Amino acid sequence: MVIDIDGTPKGTQPPPAPASEGRTRRDVTRGLRAGALAAALAPLLAAFRAPRPTPGKAPGRASFDRTHRGRRIQGTRAADGHWHVTVDGRPLHLMRRADGTWLSMVDHYCSYPTPLDAARAAVDALAPGERLRDAGEEPRHEHRGGLHGVRA
Amino acid sequence: MAYVRKDAATLTATEKRRFVNALLEVKRRGEYDEFVRTHIAYYASDGERGLRTAHMAPSFLPWHRRFLLDLEEALRRVDSSVTLPYWDWTRDRTARSAPWTADLLGGNGRRSDRQVTTGPFAYREGKWTIRVNVTEGEFLTRDLGRRADPLDLPGKRDLEWALKESAYDVAPWDSTVTRGFRNRLEGWGTGRGSVSWRNHNRVHRWVGGIMLSAASVNDPVFWLHHAFVDLQWYRWQRRHDGARYRPATAPGSGDEQHGRIVSRHERLPPWDVTPGELEDVSATYRYA
Repeated sequence: MVIDIDGTPKGTQPPPAPASEGRTRRDVTRGLRAGALAAALAPLLAAFRAPRPTPGKAPGRASFDRTHRGRRIQGTRAADGHWHVTVDGRPLHLMRRADGTWLSMVDHYCSYPTPLDAARAAVDALAPGERLRDAGEEPRHEHRGGLHGVRA
Repeated sequence: MAYVRKDAATLTATEKRRFVNALLEVKRRGEYDEFVRTHIAYYASDGERGLRTAHMAPSFLPWHRRFLLDLEEALRRVDSSVTLPYWDWTRDRTARSAPWTADLLGGNGRRSDRQVTTGPFAYREGKWTIRVNVTEGEFLTRDLGRRADPLDLPGKRDLEWALKESAYDVAPWDSTVTRGFRNRLEGWGTGRGSVSWRNHNRVHRWVGGIMLSAASVNDPVFWLHHAFVDLQWYRWQRRHDGARYRPATAPGSGDEQHGRIVSRHERLPPWDVTPGELEDVSATYRYA
């Protein structure tokens, strides 16, 4: 499949609305559906991008494995700089900010200095007994694919 | 004729009921979960390559404006009298004030598992099962004010800190900028802890539970929160004599942000619309 820079698969855009109609509600709705499809594909592209190197910022440790509030948090850093982090064995997708800090899918509106800090914060944000969804439920591409490891 | 978006604290009992019922119907039709998916998929972070549209970018405001219009159109297909209310978190600042009442969004999550058990979106009502989530949770969760380590909602002074900025946004147009209205409202700070959660971001944290996660759209307060954020854009334009969205033109090929943000007249995915076309929505709606 050919994918544009914005993640839109070529050939799946809805046809343009007739000029005489302008942008009708139906067109907008149709546009959103197509957009949602494109949206679902965008992370597939993102999976192949390496994070921007951050000058002057020491990289975190190569891996960690510890318990926080009764949850086991593990992280390993791949050669390409991507982190694979799990909570109780289930993947926790991390994103990187331009300042080199990290945020997770569980705690998504602030960021932390290291992947370990982000994993701890995610555990803090989970409700007692609440578990990340199982990797086995994900369609493809582990934590980096689909909807970033979201049950959808 | 433009319709009116009202302060949630001023809605009549009938207005609340019709808004809630329209939301439940959009959910029942399966349309609501598409909104959750779209928001997750368009959350791109600025430390990774690729185009950013919804967050950590100048188009944070027009992206959410268009997103809200889509939901509002879905609600109005169900009931044409409905408009999105807004939550003024500078005024309604406690877990018991609007919009956390049983006749609107329901209250806080219970302590044991943060499950919302009151109001129309409580799991036991059977009409608001969470289907798109980062966890296995199927019920709405909240932890208003973060009981284990309380924090305050942003206040008028925090908003003023954003509104007084004369520039809409500044280079490099991401989460690291300390000037400009957009990021001061979106709320990405520097450093760690409390100072790094301002305005919009801080409200997500204050609500907690699913609102703190990538699946935040699952909590209907998402829309009331973002309607109030949207109102700030209008207020900022008024204060600064109709100041425009920036950047006006796309960063050049030698710029680090080339191809990574949407300038005023470029298409804003996933829609066929530009930020410039979303600056003035007075023909569609206004705020009361």
